Amino acid sequence: MTPARTFACLSVFLLAACGADPAPEPVEQIIVRQPDTPPAAIAAAAVATAAPTSALIAEGKAAFANCSVCHAVAKGAPHGAGPNLFGIVGKPAGQAAGFAYSDALKTSGIIWTAAELDSFIAGPATKIPGTTMMAGPMADAAKRQAVIAFLESSDAS
Amino acid sequence: MIKLNVNGQAKAVEVDPATPILWVVRENLGMTGTKFGCGIAQCGACTVHLDGKPVRSCSTPISVAEGKSITTIEGIAGEDGTLHRVQQAWIEAQVPQCGYCQSGQIMTATALLAKNPNPTDAQIDAAMAGNVCRCGMYNRIRQAIKAAAGQPVTKETVA
Amino acid sequence: MSKTETGSPEKKGKWTRRAFIGAGVVAGSALVVGVAVRQGNPVNRLNPLLANGKDERLLNAWVKVDADNIVTAVIPHVEMGQGVYTALAQMLADEMDADWNRVRILEAPADMQYVSDSIARDFLAPDLEVPALFEPTVAGGILELAQAMGLQFTGGSYSVRATGQRAMRTAGAAAREMLVAAAASEWQVPAGEISTANSMITHARSGSSAPFSQFALAAAEQSLPARPTLKTPDKYTIMGQPKARHDIPEKVDGSAIFGIDANVPGMKYAAVKAPPVIGATVESMDASTAKTMPGVLQILNMGDFVAVVADGYWQAQQALSSIDTKYSKTEGDGLDQEAIFARYASHLDDAGEDGGDSETEEGDVAKGFADAAVKVEAEYKVPFLAHAAMEPMNCTAWVRDGKCDVWSGHQAPVKARQAAADAAGLPFEDVTYHNAYLGGGFGRRAQGDYIAMATRIAKATGYPVKMIWSREEDTAQDFYRPSATSRFRGGLDKDGRLVSWDNIHTHLFDPKDAPTVPYYKIASHKIRKVEVPMQLRFGPWRSVDHSQHGFFIESFVDELAHAAGKDGYAFRRELLADSPRHLKVLDTAAKMSGWDTPLPDKHGRGIALVPSFGSIVAQVAEVDMSGSKPKVTKVYVAADPGFVINPDGFTAQMESAIAYGLTAALYGDITLASGKVQQSNFHDYPMLRMGEMPAIEVALINGDHQHLGGGGEPGLPPIAPAVTNAIFAATGKRIRELPLAKHDFA
Repeated sequence: MTPARTFACLSVFLLAACGADPAPEPVEQIIVRQPDTPPAAIAAAAVATAAPTSALIAEGKAAFANCSVCHAVAKGAPHGAGPNLFGIVGKPAGQAAGFAYSDALKTSGIIWTAAELDSFIAGPATKIPGTTMMAGPMADAAKRQAVIAFLESSDAS
Repeated sequence: MIKLNVNGQAKAVEVDPATPILWVVRENLGMTGTKFGCGIAQCGACTVHLDGKPVRSCSTPISVAEGKSITTIEGIAGEDGTLHRVQQAWIEAQVPQCGYCQSGQIMTATALLAKNPNPTDAQIDAAMAGNVCRCGMYNRIRQAIKAAAGQPVTKETVA
Repeated sequence: MSKTETGSPEKKGKWTRRAFIGAGVVAGSALVVGVAVRQGNPVNRLNPLLANGKDERLLNAWVKVDADNIVTAVIPHVEMGQGVYTALAQMLADEMDADWNRVRILEAPADMQYVSDSIARDFLAPDLEVPALFEPTVAGGILELAQAMGLQFTGGSYSVRATGQRAMRTAGAAAREMLVAAAASEWQVPAGEISTANSMITHARSGSSAPFSQFALAAAEQSLPARPTLKTPDKYTIMGQPKARHDIPEKVDGSAIFGIDANVPGMKYAAVKAPPVIGATVESMDASTAKTMPGVLQILNMGDFVAVVADGYWQAQQALSSIDTKYSKTEGDGLDQEAIFARYASHLDDAGEDGGDSETEEGDVAKGFADAAVKVEAEYKVPFLAHAAMEPMNCTAWVRDGKCDVWSGHQAPVKARQAAADAAGLPFEDVTYHNAYLGGGFGRRAQGDYIAMATRIAKATGYPVKMIWSREEDTAQDFYRPSATSRFRGGLDKDGRLVSWDNIHTHLFDPKDAPTVPYYKIASHKIRKVEVPMQLRFGPWRSVDHSQHGFFIESFVDELAHAAGKDGYAFRRELLADSPRHLKVLDTAAKMSGWDTPLPDKHGRGIALVPSFGSIVAQVAEVDMSGSKPKVTKVYVAADPGFVINPDGFTAQMESAIAYGLTAALYGDITLASGKVQQSNFHDYPMLRMGEMPAIEVALINGDHQHLGGGGEPGLPPIAPAVTNAIFAATGKRIRELPLAKHDFA
């Protein structure tokens, strides 16, 4: 390999990266309607990612008590009946080493964004048919939001 | 509401009857193994079975499927999860590269073998002509089809 | 690699630590290195990201061992079908003596915490010795690593020869030595008496034996071996073996997730259309019908494209096609393909026999021609080519609350993340990029355009949007392999030996050595270029400039052979007198093909040899010209990439490159009319199909295990000239312009 090649590649590569337009806003934006059913997940996620209050986190921590029967959240703590959820937000589903996931979860391709977590907790078996998670749906949207805020917080990540 | 049978399961979807099967399967039913490649039935990436016959789902409206059974790549393995012999042959021959076209290739190949268990080279060419593989794995596809048919396999590519 | 004369000014000269870090910042990224864990080592910070649980430690950035004795290779490249996950894991696992059946693969995250310039800084810190493989050219090595890994770029057939050879093997060997040192300390025996195999550590004399996992923690406390000892090929157990690819099972049951399969709750779908003339803008749009169509949520004039967002993609596409759009005028509006070639011709005419920018010159070319007994001249042309990856460009984005998530398949995840950050107007750190399998890359997915477009749409809507290009858009808005013209003059002496060579061609992108022929013995030569505006956007296309120069050079060599009254194979043998590796490759291909055996009437054989990306490939093509169009029946391939890590994977790459190159040679032709790309889909930009695929026979040669070449691209450049040379042998018709579909063979 010649040095010329390395630089050429790099410069071609960087050129495109640096030459990106400064992202113009729309010249014209016709909003016909808002999405019919803005999923609660989005709202929940938006709130959850917007610096949740310590009260919300505390509420989530309390609500997580049920979950902690199966799930550890402390860094490095062993898996229980369910996998350790330390730093789960943002991770791909079914990938924690040393835990035997269902095929359904392992192959779901889901990235655990706050929104994904929300819809999963709202109905695990509906969201991922075949999951071996035993817990039933957590119907209370506010509670789900709190649990996710807790999982995202420094207390659990 | 359009009533469907997909991979043996009853489904109902609320869509424009003109919507191609491809988008109903991918977006409404959440099964993404069937791929979008060209939108005009030229590449075969979207191939599914309609009552066992291969169709290009990008160009077949969902209304056509009412009362018929749709089979997608997700539905050809056995109920216990055992892969179809064509899928197994695909792994044996290490067919896929990028893999994007392979759902369609496999659906066309399984339909071919269901209809013609012992195809000749010319019949394989004819049946598979509608499926493009941009990674050019045609020799391995042919080899895998022959292996799945129980024919002696002569490698098209020899190393 | 040691010199750094070329390239842009700020990268000239010696690579100081400061310069390097600067480069990292420019790229919006930096470097991740295979540094083992030790006290105060930055890799400790990576542990929480990649290691799970207390019984597991990263041994270095590329390998981890868990409590179940699973060795995980962290691969800083993307899988687009080239088998890179498997080949790189093989290199690491072999050096580590890992049990191949217990090796797992993880794609490195496109994450600043993982790929951070602070790690690069620490890597270059004076107290950290550099593993032997990075020497003698730390500077060059760093640059190469920065490109191949820090930027997480996959292309240029780099993965195995750069990342694999320089990093994965070193990482594996270092991890092994650290495990051995930990065991030696525990067992109180000399490290030299300990052996490793199948992820087990054994001390035969004392009868001690333990899995890697037992010493993973203690190994992590060991210091990094400054110069881990790499295996010689006779010790390889996993490298060189045709291991099954890890990614194949999920690609036969529909479960593999590609970029287009991203699933974000609440996401909507966008169809887009950009002005058909590159550089034009959207002046106005009439969306009165689209507004009333079912499922439509928003209609956006983004200035440089129009987008419709709807509940479903099909609805978006239907509505988009109802929009009447007016575009701005550009200088390219009236341009057609003939005018572009005429422009090339006039620049080449102006350059004449001595003009243009010199690329290389050796010997007295003028005298060579003056003395030549026979002079040969020829001009060749190739068209623009689109990539036509099976998976059309697509990207899913969600911009909200100062954060951005992006899902796609990209050859350079860190660059994709930067493109999204720029488009969202957010800092890099606030963007999370999720990479999926690529439904073909071929260089197209090294561009950031489609990532930026989706991000801008998502920013405007506020909710998650999956943007999918139609095939028509994918064909018309590509970054193309350039159309090009190349002119040659060659001089033969009275014995038919090649004594002078003059080539001038349009454009030079990359690799810079693509037009050169240092392996051919020619007394004098000069190679020049002219830069000519070509209207369409340039993009690296599988094998990049080699894709055209392979055809130009090997066609002209064949013409010279004919003029010299010599056989194409014999003529090349003479030219390769001082290049034994190349000669062996050529001989192997010729021998496999039975070069001297007769063929039926209207059949022909053609040979071509092109070294590229560190690998030497020769091909002999057999064509049947008895029908109305050429039928390539068989291709014999001999390839020397130094050492073949995975023979089946490498063979598959040869097959794939032949199919890709043959598609282009037979049909590939992107043309302009009134400034617009005329082709739109597979009916007018045809692909090779099953019945047209030649049988292929491949011979692999391990010619130099210390200098590995690439696999993804080198199989492509020889196929077009091998075929056109075979057509000449069969018919006497010399093809000087591609594609073959332009020519009448009836």
